[in-house]
Amino acid sequence: MIVFKTFLRIVKKCIFPIILYTVILVLFSSINISTEDNNMNFTASKPDIYIINNDKYEGITKSLIDYMSANSNIIELKDTKEAIDDAIFYRDVNFIMEIPVNFNEEYLKGQELEIKIETTGDYPSVQAKNLLNRYLSTARIYQHLNLNEEDLIKKVNATLENKVNIEITSGLDTSALTKTATYYNFLNYAFLAGSIYVICLVLSSFKNENIKKRTLISSMKINRFNRNLLLSNSLFAFILWLIYVILSFILVGESMFSMHGLIYIINSFVFAICTLCIAFLLGNTIKNKDAINGIINVIALGSSFLCGAFVPMEYLPKSVLNMAHILPSYYYIKNNNLISTLETINLINLKQIILNMLILLIFASIFIVITNIITRKTRN
Amino acid sequence: MKKIIEVKNLTKEYKKLKAIDNLSFDVYEGEILGLLGPNGSGKSTTINCILSLLNFSKGSIKIFNKEMKPDAYEIKKEIGVIFQDVAVFDELTVYDNIDYFCGLYISDKNKRKEYIEYAINLVGLKEFIKFYPKELSGGLLRRLNIACGIAHKPKIIFLDEPTVAVDPQSRNNILDGIKKLRESGATIIYTTHYMEEVEMLCDRVIILDKGKVIASGTTDELKALANIEEKISVEIVEFDSKHLKNIKKLPNVSEVTYNNHLLQVIYTKGDNNLTKFMDYLKKEEIAYQKIFSERPTLNDVFLELTGKELRD
Ligand SMILES: Nc1ncnc2c1ncn2[C@@H]1O[C@H](COP(=O)(O)OP(=O)(O)OP(=O)(O)O)[C@@H](O)[C@H]1O
Ligand SMILES: [Mg+2]
Repeated sequence: MIVFKTFLRIVKKCIFPIILYTVILVLFSSINISTEDNNMNFTASKPDIYIINNDKYEGITKSLIDYMSANSNIIELKDTKEAIDDAIFYRDVNFIMEIPVNFNEEYLKGQELEIKIETTGDYPSVQAKNLLNRYLSTARIYQHLNLNEEDLIKKVNATLENKVNIEITSGLDTSALTKTATYYNFLNYAFLAGSIYVICLVLSSFKNENIKKRTLISSMKINRFNRNLLLSNSLFAFILWLIYVILSFILVGESMFSMHGLIYIINSFVFAICTLCIAFLLGNTIKNKDAINGIINVIALGSSFLCGAFVPMEYLPKSVLNMAHILPSYYYIKNNNLISTLETINLINLKQIILNMLILLIFASIFIVITNIITRKTRN
Repeated sequence: MKKIIEVKNLTKEYKKLKAIDNLSFDVYEGEILGLLGPNGSGKSTTINCILSLLNFSKGSIKIFNKEMKPDAYEIKKEIGVIFQDVAVFDELTVYDNIDYFCGLYISDKNKRKEYIEYAINLVGLKEFIKFYPKELSGGLLRRLNIACGIAHKPKIIFLDEPTVAVDPQSRNNILDGIKKLRESGATIIYTTHYMEEVEMLCDRVIILDKGKVIASGTTDELKALANIEEKISVEIVEFDSKHLKNIKKLPNVSEVTYNNHLLQVIYTKGDNNLTKFMDYLKKEEIAYQKIFSERPTLNDVFLELTGKELRD
């Protein structure tokens, strides 16, 4: 009890930065939410797309091109690299997709060749990308059923048509989901910064060499002490996470009361576990309290910038995103973005999301192992 | 007297250095035992070994007749330690700091409250309970450090140089507090390199050097070892060194030195040494400013035994 009580007293002393991070979170996401509202009429317009087709215009290729054409404005360009680059630069086109040779043939054999895309990163381009993803994820459902070409295309087209109908009646609010993603992406910063700050501060106090000596010679069993400290920190992280989840209900409202909302919450919970492990690792390594603020900036701000918490991933250069793969935040934010474009919730669509969550948990276990190695070393 | 701590043939080696060398001593119930030694003589290391904070290569340590081990929680319950370095939480107030360290031992809230008040009064921090450590002066901080170590009313208290870098007022307060703790029945092990404190406070003294006991006993017993009865110092501006020989020949004089206008005469025994010495000065018409006579100190004992000063 005394460990928990003292933990709370220390938290009370350093509550200000937590409030600050939370205020920043609320401000940032409410600004974002209201500006996207202004874009609402903009969303009604269709994206401008240029399609480079290296395949024959038949089968699944034809079906895809038809689907894209039906839902966007097809732009004609000269097929030179220069013309394409210019078009992207001047935003004459939002989205360019290149269908590879033999796409249809390979698709029927069960292979999905990669469709190269280039985007301006703005809202219409996200819309276009969503169209493409929607088509591909629908087609994937039927790809492995060994249907012949004709049946496959029929089924895909039928499903997509139905979906449009369902969409109109059920009204999957993609713009609300994007807002939710914005909020949860920014959470990467607020939650990382807040929990690392508090847990590092508390651990560096309790593990201060002289204070630890006093704890060690006391009649409190050392295992019990460590367990209490661990529980206190975990409880703190859990409550902070819970507050942020409740805030998301207040800020984005209705769309949180859905399966999508639930997946956002689960995703952030997995991320919270991972963050807790990061904070433990840092708290056990950092001896100097003055260093904590610097470390927060490097880790919370750094990962937020690199992984697209502030700026959509589409805007980030490829090289940055490639580097971001080594950070847990990347998989968390990637998942948020995936959830916002999730058309139907089924196992196939969720596969990537679940995989990313598993990666986060693997990160968490790696951090736990490293923390154990470090604490064992310092004990000797 | 009941033996409370028994240290037998303790040897502790750091990588290259033998910090404690075959050390043996006992601590008895209700006494204040002084561990006196210069910097690096192994005082803190000894305490850390007794507390099982350090493992040692040889020897045994028994407290209350039981072997002391890291998981000897029954023994630990009865021990309080004030380490050389101040160990308190910067984020907690004076009161909350004591509450935490006391709470590691005592979970009953009301009992703890009573104990904390006792500790606060003992070190005289009553007006400061809402202060944070950063707002305390060095002396007050040391007092807080002590309160944190003794609030759970331990039967054995280790104090490792609690008065280093402390103003005289706080020092007196601390020393008074220690006396009060002894009166309440605690056994105290007190390390320091201030011999004045040892003389004032301790029932028994162990003098350490390079991890070995070089002498032990009451202060009087130790002083007998110094082979000095009296030390007379005189400030003389003009002094002819021919007198040195004559003074040396006076009865009981063992040593005479003259440095920086200060003449020092050391007597091994005898009474009325001062009167006889002043008679000589008068006879030779030597003018002097100040004259004073001292009994030997533990520093002299240390000097006699090791050939060096206790404090450099
Ligand atoms: N962690 C350590 N590693 C190596 N040597 C050490 C370590 N701690 C202490 N020593 C050495 O052991 C010897 C005894 O040190 P100790 O701190 O016990 O002395 P002390 O009597 O408490 O001195 P002081 O009056 O300065 O506190 C010293 O020579 C010191 O340099
Ligand atoms: Mg020491």
